[in-house]
Amino acid sequence: MKSFPCLPAALAAALLLAAPVVQADETCNSPYMAKLIKGQEDYVYVWTLGVDGLGDGSDKLVTIDVDPKSKTYGKVIAQVSVGTRGEAHHMGFTDDRRRIWAGGLAGAEIYVFDIATDPAHPKLLKTIKDLAAKTGYIGPHTYYALPGRMLVQALSNEKDKGGATGIAAYNNEGEFIARYPMPVEGGGDGYGYDLAVNPTKNVMLTSSFTGYANYMRPLGELIKDEAAMKRFGNTMVAWDLKAMKPKTIMQVPGAPLEIRWSLHPGDDWAITAAALTSKLWLVRPDASGQWQAKEVATIGDPTKIPLPVDISIRQDGKGLWVNTFMDGMTRYFDLTNPQAPKQTYEKHTGAQVNMISQSWDGTRVYITSSLLANWDKAGADNEQFLRAFRWDGKALTPAFEVDFTKEKLGRAHHMKLGSKVLKTAYVAPAGAPGR
Amino acid sequence: MIITAAAAMVWLAAAPPAPTNDPPRMDFVLPDPGTYQLQRIMRAPDGTVLTVDGQLDKLSRFTRDRITLLGFIYTSCTDPQGCPMAYRVFDRLKDEIRATPALKDQVQLVTLSFDPARDTPSVMKRYAGSQLEDEGGLRWYFLTTPSERELMPLVEGFGQDVQYAIDNSTGRPFRQLSHVLKVFLIDRAGDVREIYTSTFLHPRAIIGDIKTLLME
Repeated sequence: MKSFPCLPAALAAALLLAAPVVQADETCNSPYMAKLIKGQEDYVYVWTLGVDGLGDGSDKLVTIDVDPKSKTYGKVIAQVSVGTRGEAHHMGFTDDRRRIWAGGLAGAEIYVFDIATDPAHPKLLKTIKDLAAKTGYIGPHTYYALPGRMLVQALSNEKDKGGATGIAAYNNEGEFIARYPMPVEGGGDGYGYDLAVNPTKNVMLTSSFTGYANYMRPLGELIKDEAAMKRFGNTMVAWDLKAMKPKTIMQVPGAPLEIRWSLHPGDDWAITAAALTSKLWLVRPDASGQWQAKEVATIGDPTKIPLPVDISIRQDGKGLWVNTFMDGMTRYFDLTNPQAPKQTYEKHTGAQVNMISQSWDGTRVYITSSLLANWDKAGADNEQFLRAFRWDGKALTPAFEVDFTKEKLGRAHHMKLGSKVLKTAYVAPAGAPGR
Repeated sequence: MIITAAAAMVWLAAAPPAPTNDPPRMDFVLPDPGTYQLQRIMRAPDGTVLTVDGQLDKLSRFTRDRITLLGFIYTSCTDPQGCPMAYRVFDRLKDEIRATPALKDQVQLVTLSFDPARDTPSVMKRYAGSQLEDEGGLRWYFLTTPSERELMPLVEGFGQDVQYAIDNSTGRPFRQLSHVLKVFLIDRAGDVREIYTSTFLHPRAIIGDIKTLLME
């Protein structure tokens, strides 16, 4: 989404000469988020699971320099440990992009990092500890910015550690506002995973995964447990965003995970991947305005359970990257016709691959390796990395790699892009007017 | 009367924006007022402001007892999707509120400048133009602050970020007066109940939210 700078004319002219142009970045952020990066990103922040015996063993936010002109290009330039290990998983920017919220699936803590004061060296500002007490939910997963506040989609609950869960709303200062349970009636299964909003349609979509009792179990053990394998989400929900009430429950079998809205102006659809069935699903309103989900493509060979775990949509909605964890493949789908996505490229990018992010122009693609501590592969296949690639529309070419085991960091999971010019402050720095 | 070029530019910049900026298309059916709840997001901050007559006062005098819509602007803002849109939306709201007897004594509008160095009380008075006149119960206040010292706690308290950039010619930071357009809906007790950005700045949605608060 476009941000709307409001500049006195003289300063606007000066800025054209003095300041780098900063507008937008990777395509999965909240449409309410300010200051997106459309040019070259300077940093990739990696929310990293701690590993016992590796470094301090704690979860940490790792900053990697990704500016090709920098002397430290491709190197780790900062890390902030949270001092404990709790299944670090996802993170998200506040709407003003001053802070990153991140959390772990093993508990209910939410860590708030300041990335505005010094974008190269994030600082841990505070830890929000009242999620479970205020909501009964644990396993905070998705952090999605609304103006002045953050929606936190949880995966589980404190009571039985199953999949019945919900969404918590906090203001940007970390004060609890409200809770919204996932629907369990009218076809709802109560599970949660991702959420993504489309303000022009007044709709919020949510998807569904599984609870703590499943995602904390070793994967090999879990898949042999027939009863446990039935305890995965099979729904998506279209919510009235203004009212924060469920409107339409759609059946999407096989744990639909990440949700990506097309950002192309005028488009009214979103896409998701169902992990267990290895299918792409399109979500859009029908002629009567009712939200519908439709299976539109197959990812790899579903009988081999490739496990699609993350997707990244191009800013024009014309292409989609899909990472499948089990076979370590990165696939590109042509989305010119979202009703019939076609795979046009694939590459084996690691023994195990999980998250995938791309720059706004699509020419830089970043991949990390870890899914969950107990689901990652063992032995030599337990590669832990961030790999950067260049994409010319035909092939992925390696740019650099950071070995997270060799660097004693841990398991590399979620990524967010950063920029040194996004230095935002309420307090004027020394030398600024008014000081 | 001799008007210098610089003075003319300031005067032009301070004139109310022409009504050319329509809010974004609303492509959905809104929930009925009173069928949903607006959560208490945060307390509206308080601080010192200046009226168009140059009187010092507390911001809370303009954000309590009635339902308040508050938006930050610069009078010299030129982005059609920024401050002029906020002005236009407020102007439309004013018409709708005036036409709804149940609302006009219940609502007030506050336009607060981001730019105390330029937006003096007299500049704000010119910017307000005829909007300052009593509209049969509806109030629209145009406020500024004496300096950044009074402005910044309000900016911070509302969560309206300000960006600093480096002037490459001097190496000195300067305030890049950029912001994503935000408008704050404040209830009679002084709690922020909704925050709108340009994507969601629909007069009908705002009227629905005001009615929802009045039904509490």
